[in-house]
Amino acid sequence: MADRREYEGLLDDEEENDEGVSPHLSPLCDPTHLLHRILVLVFMCFLGFGSYFCYDNPAALQTQVIQDMGLNTASFMQLYAWYSWPNVVLCFLGGFLLDRVFGIRLGTIIFSMFVLLGQIIFAAGALANHFWLMNLGRFVFGIGGESLAVAQNTYAVNWFKGKELNLVFGLQLSMARVGSTVNMNVIGWVYGRIEAMLGSTGHTTLGITLMIAASTCLFSLMCALILGFLDRRAEKILKKEQGKTGEVIKLTDVKDFPVSLWLIFIVCVAYYVAIFPFIGLGQVFFIEKFAFTTVQARAINSIVYIISAPASPLLGFVVDRTGRNVLWVMLAVITTLLSHMMLAFTFWNPWIAMCLLGLSYSLLACALWPMVAFVVPEHQLGTAYGFMQSIQNLGLALMSMAAGSILDLKGYLFLEVFFIACLCLALLAVVLLYLYNSYKEGELNLSASERTSRMKSEDAQRLRVPQPSVEDHDHLKPLSPFGLRIRYLSRLGVQVSLDISKRLMELAVFSHRCVVVLADAGSQVFSGLQECPQMSCASRCPVTLPETNAFVLINFSCVCASIWMFVFDCNPARVHESVDAFSREMCTVLIQMHTLHGVIGIFNAVSWQFTHSSFTFW
Amino acid sequence: MSTFTASLIFSVLFLVFGAALGLLGNGDKFRRKVSVEFNPGLTPPWVLPPGVNLVHVRGLGLNDTLHFLLCNHGAPALLMVHTNSTQSSVQVDWPSFINRSSPSSLKVEPQTSVRYSRALVFTRVWEYDDVNNTADPQQTAESSFYPPYELQNFIWSDLNKTDNQSNLTLQLCGGEKTESFVNGSLCLQFSAFESVGRDQAWPSLHHNANSSQLHVWLNGVTPRGNHSRFALEFQSVGDFGFEGRVDVYSSIDDEYTPSIFKVSQWVSSPVNSTGVWGYNQWKPVAYRKAEPVFEDATPCKHSQLVSMTHIPQSRLVQAYFTEDPQTYGLNISFGIDKDPAFYSDTKYISWTVLVGLGDPPADSFSTLIIIIITVGLGTPLVIIIVGGVFVWLRKRKSHSSGYEPIN
Repeated sequence: MADRREYEGLLDDEEENDEGVSPHLSPLCDPTHLLHRILVLVFMCFLGFGSYFCYDNPAALQTQVIQDMGLNTASFMQLYAWYSWPNVVLCFLGGFLLDRVFGIRLGTIIFSMFVLLGQIIFAAGALANHFWLMNLGRFVFGIGGESLAVAQNTYAVNWFKGKELNLVFGLQLSMARVGSTVNMNVIGWVYGRIEAMLGSTGHTTLGITLMIAASTCLFSLMCALILGFLDRRAEKILKKEQGKTGEVIKLTDVKDFPVSLWLIFIVCVAYYVAIFPFIGLGQVFFIEKFAFTTVQARAINSIVYIISAPASPLLGFVVDRTGRNVLWVMLAVITTLLSHMMLAFTFWNPWIAMCLLGLSYSLLACALWPMVAFVVPEHQLGTAYGFMQSIQNLGLALMSMAAGSILDLKGYLFLEVFFIACLCLALLAVVLLYLYNSYKEGELNLSASERTSRMKSEDAQRLRVPQPSVEDHDHLKPLSPFGLRIRYLSRLGVQVSLDISKRLMELAVFSHRCVVVLADAGSQVFSGLQECPQMSCASRCPVTLPETNAFVLINFSCVCASIWMFVFDCNPARVHESVDAFSREMCTVLIQMHTLHGVIGIFNAVSWQFTHSSFTFW
Repeated sequence: MSTFTASLIFSVLFLVFGAALGLLGNGDKFRRKVSVEFNPGLTPPWVLPPGVNLVHVRGLGLNDTLHFLLCNHGAPALLMVHTNSTQSSVQVDWPSFINRSSPSSLKVEPQTSVRYSRALVFTRVWEYDDVNNTADPQQTAESSFYPPYELQNFIWSDLNKTDNQSNLTLQLCGGEKTESFVNGSLCLQFSAFESVGRDQAWPSLHHNANSSQLHVWLNGVTPRGNHSRFALEFQSVGDFGFEGRVDVYSSIDDEYTPSIFKVSQWVSSPVNSTGVWGYNQWKPVAYRKAEPVFEDATPCKHSQLVSMTHIPQSRLVQAYFTEDPQTYGLNISFGIDKDPAFYSDTKYISWTVLVGLGDPPADSFSTLIIIIITVGLGTPLVIIIVGGVFVWLRKRKSHSSGYEPIN
């Protein structure tokens, strides 16, 4: 409601200012003009670049960090754990600090400074050869990094709401990947150059490399300053308000959370704890237990994410169409349990278990997250999602450490049993949720049609009863579920990017090459040369014939990923705004898919720029 | 209603636990009464060379006896003799045993009661320069091998004996009189067991009363090259009519030996029969530190089994096996292809083998795992059944009561 009015206010301002301000400003300087918004978008995108670039520095330099600092894998992983710790709290506080304490502009600058400072401490730790200092650096970096992502989204909503918001969110997500990708490819090279310059490896080389990486954070800080300036200028010219995250986190809400929400929390934590730490430790497991080569192990370990790309839109669609979320979640937990048991107690081909795991992982994501919206009133959604992420972070941080120790002391079988126990807890929570829900006759497990009819009757009731509190609730209007989910996704991306960013880079390169293949085939056909398209492509880029099928497949999954992001967003609450929501929704999805195609194209182009030098490697 | 539900839950859990514990109760409860004697019957003026001992460990069962004889006169050897008598004893003709003057100077009496005998002899320690870092002695050029350390020439220090409630442990260390062994030694730790159990230390092999364990480690030996790796040579001597083979099994259980999913078994069975009479069992892992953590484990592999023409230079084996014994040899090498760690990094490597009678013990799930799985799977199942019934009953009740006012 508030957004609508704000937006209308913005329009009014535009009309008023048409005579007043615009004639004196060139399009680039006119805050209402598209060109100016694009300029702002550029700064907005690069705002997060530094933090995404530096987040994965340890992963990109894993061998060097371990060698130069004399670490083992467990202490190396602490670099990531220390990043996670502040975010257990900041999931709550980030939005609050931005809204109430600093304001978006100052807040963004402060968080950028934290990022820069953290990276500098991190690099200084390497220079001084103190590992604890490096951990401290990561901690400070973590304070800034996550909140900066919130700030970035808030800026995006503030500037692009009702305009190109989805595109902007998509672009920002892509920038995260670009940051990781560039880092993965560039930082090793930088290290090599420094090594050549100094003539030796060692903690000094590492420190200098990380200091150079800190320059990206400085760059991001500059973007924050410029954005702050532009935003203030726009505020003065347009007389609009400073942007808000729209997230109202009221910790007092927590006591009002219904039982079913707590059960959902338990499912969420217990389930994800059995997935992410497993994937983190999975590579060696497949090598040790199933005698895989390193390449095979890496492939099977990433199959979960690869499957979830094409499977999620389909499963999301199915869940949305059928309703009955609790049963779907139960199914997902049970299949995950089965696949973990397969991995633990049999020597069956692990591809079966991992594919099953990928499918059930996607199914759970599609069915579990929307359930929160059913059990919590809309003005508490922000708190609920914030709390959910917070305890998920906490659970992951604790359980990653626990999993590492269990593996060291008791081996993989016991680790798997531990994961199975976690899943059993999740199953228990789902069972209780199901029983509680059917006891209370809640709407969690209704089929889609029942849900629609119930929604309609509620609407009818609401029409009859006057709504006095609309005005009061205006300032409590939370970020749309889409925004929340984008935030969640971007955070998830950061969480798992240690594994997945490499994978995404590969995907990008593959799909780029696929585009080349298709374009090539197309041009061949059109020019009527009737040659084998693959053959001619092979001369342009090193693609061999059997690879082509894989490319098509992977590009398909890439496209599906783009659909997924939006189908995922099919929030049933919004579907019911219109009776014939289905067709309308499909339409939006298709449009959005095309938008994202553009984003992927940009991403491909950028990543290709940075990876084509390593093409011979493929 | 609620008390009924609670009691139902508890009774089902009790049943499940009872079943689980019942399964566990099938474990090998077989015990032997273990006693040890040193140099049985040796009287002055006859003395063994310094540091050399003949240890006789007698495991008395209900109607059989399992003798283990450990002797480091010559290459160290562990002889296992199984008799179907509870009265069997070891007789040594010491003058000829010490002077190597005649075979059959060591006997287990009565000889008709002997069912099976087999010896494991630790003959050599190989050292090779692994320039290509393959950690595979069979692919290493012969020129890369240093002269092996012959264990028959080792000088041994005194025997250490430690005894606790259920196992008996003996330790002997020795070395060659060369520079390599100035600060280092090769040590053997022998353990005999009264009943089933596991060592605390990795690889925590599952032993029973029919087995004994040999733990070998090479500590502080100065390597002769920058990329030195070691391999151990073992020979197994047994009666005519038996043949040996090495089986490698996959095991899903790595709880006691983290990240090791394989078990190697060097078994001996009668020709034309599949029954296993005796075994040497080990897990393909060695440790690079005395008190290892996860990262200190390194894989080990064994060579092909080779049939030997001569029995090894061990006084014990030469004195016991007289009639056409059969000898097989096998090397155990440590490290893995492209392994960044060489012996010189920690100057320590240890390896453990279980020597026993009958079928090799198999790993089974620990009680803790069974309980976790049972409770984990059982509780949701119980709750869904009980809760489902409860909700259904309640719904039926409310429906029926809902219609009453109409009537």
